[in-house]
Amino acid sequence: MDSLVISNIRQRPLRSAISVFGVALGVTLVMLFTGLSRGMSDDLQRRSANVRAEIVFTRPGSLATSTTANLSMKYVDLLKQIDGVEAAVPVIRHFYPSGPWGVDQVEGVDWDSFTRMSNIRLVQGRGPKAFDEVVIDEAKASRNHPVGSSLKLFGDKDLRVVGIYAPESGARAKLSLEAMQDFLEAPGKCSYVLVKVTNPAEQVAIARRINEKYPGNTVQLTGDFFPSIEKSIPGLAIFMRVLVALAAIVSALVVMLAMHTTITERTREIGILKAMGASRRYIISEIEREALAISFLGLLVGFALAALAGFFIHKATGLIFEFGPWWVLTAAVIGLVGGALGALYPAARAANLDPVTALAYE
Amino acid sequence: MATILKAEDLEKVYRVGKVDVPALRGITLTVQEGEFLAVMGPSGCGKSTMLHLMGGLLTPTKGRVIIDGEDLTAASDARRTDIRRRKIGFVFQRFNLFPTLTAEGNLRLAERIHGNGADDPDRRREILSMLKLEDKMHHKPLELSGGEQQRVALARAVVNRPAIVLADEPTGNLDTESSALVLKMFRELNDRFNQTIIMITHNPEAAAACQRIIQMRDGHIV
Ligand SMILES: Nc1ncnc2c1ncn2[C@@H]1O[C@H](COP(=O)(O)OP(=O)(O)O)[C@@H](O)[C@H]1O
Ligand SMILES: [Mg+2]
Repeated sequence: MDSLVISNIRQRPLRSAISVFGVALGVTLVMLFTGLSRGMSDDLQRRSANVRAEIVFTRPGSLATSTTANLSMKYVDLLKQIDGVEAAVPVIRHFYPSGPWGVDQVEGVDWDSFTRMSNIRLVQGRGPKAFDEVVIDEAKASRNHPVGSSLKLFGDKDLRVVGIYAPESGARAKLSLEAMQDFLEAPGKCSYVLVKVTNPAEQVAIARRINEKYPGNTVQLTGDFFPSIEKSIPGLAIFMRVLVALAAIVSALVVMLAMHTTITERTREIGILKAMGASRRYIISEIEREALAISFLGLLVGFALAALAGFFIHKATGLIFEFGPWWVLTAAVIGLVGGALGALYPAARAANLDPVTALAYE
Repeated sequence: MATILKAEDLEKVYRVGKVDVPALRGITLTVQEGEFLAVMGPSGCGKSTMLHLMGGLLTPTKGRVIIDGEDLTAASDARRTDIRRRKIGFVFQRFNLFPTLTAEGNLRLAERIHGNGADDPDRRREILSMLKLEDKMHHKPLELSGGEQQRVALARAVVNRPAIVLADEPTGNLDTESSALVLKMFRELNDRFNQTIIMITHNPEAAAACQRIIQMRDGHIV
């Protein structure tokens, strides 16, 4: 064993562990928040992929992440008459608070036309008819909601599960369109109309045609309509950047403190190094290596903590975490750069110590 | 015989607050290659100060130190550190080993700091055998006796073939028996490797083992 770095870290296991944990905390926070935002938006997009419509027709100002039922049903028939349109299916989407932090959604659809257009099929039971009937996807059914059971989604109204469908698409629970219109007191209205075209190669041209015919509405391709959560909540991107910066600062401070105490405690050893002819650069690099080793351990612990926390939070709340490579990399850079920068000041101080004074230090 | 160290009219004044404390008042000294020199004198007469100046740990207020042909006093701080790395081995009264490293680790660290071409396995083996350290190398300093620690420190000081070893009361913390052993090893280093050594000591017996003794008083050589 001839590494000062490793022997120093082992010499003070508690302090090393605390520093490692400090870095890990920053890394975990970054991973959890970015993983959550990515997980939720990927989930939305994945589920929207099973909607086979190419075009979504809405009133301007409707967001994919809020409840609105402000589009007149008259457009359903009007859209069907446009050249190249095969089907037009109205949908109401409603968001409601659920669980301790979550938001969930439910849709009202005209079951027959909706299933005719999408590749969604009932695997059990039948479609929703009465106002208190609901169909759910297999993921939701697997959480102890078999056909025939009752389900409370929003308000205090008991709904009855009459069918289970697959694959997942949009909201995990669907009522009839009329039931949602009744619930939202929006008769004759829907949130958007899904438009399926006869020839997908012409979708852009047809979208333009719709737009010219019914100006003042919003015509979007399906892929654009279900945007990432990052895009639909503008503050989120800023929040995440602030979070990442905070994590970096936490890492830097923790490592700075750890290195500062290390250096104070090892003043005489630094004097010895100097007497032996160790250059400033050697001393700085020795301290930086120790800081990087601590930060690296912090990274590993942070990733492990984030994965564990993500798993348990998912179990408990259904929130979905996805740790993308970009944010893993960002968190890694944050932890390492934070640690390295934090150690820089103590390292420079050590390198500038006067050797005779340092040697006399008790 | 070549001159290894030359001190010319060295003066050092410490400044404590607004008071000047003169520690050295003009020291001139020449040390030849292979010399084993003892420095004696009462406490506070400036012995350590002189040694620190010769090793480039301090800069003189006046005068010059030339070590193995290189002028320490004219050099920048970085350059002085570099000269120290290549030419000087320090031994201290309080051993100053790295407590978290084994004896082996302490030696390797010195070799790593010294850098290129430091590794000479034959010389290393010979030194360790001479200092009777072969079976102590995997111990940490706290597991060794004072005498053993000082022998490790001595091995560390000479492993990179310094031009000169500067020792500040190397037996000052040792009992009589350990002192005798460590002194014997200084002698042997000087005999067998022609190692140039300057050693501060309070012990007349230790000084008697040296070829030359200089006495200091109040910052002068007397
Ligand atoms: N860092 C310092 N600051 C102020 N005075 C010092 C310092 N180091 C030594 N001195 C003074 O210089 C004189 C010589 O000290 P030193 O070289 O340590 O003597 P010795 O080693 O012979 O005991 C003493 O009077 C001491 O108090
Ligand atoms: Mg002294």
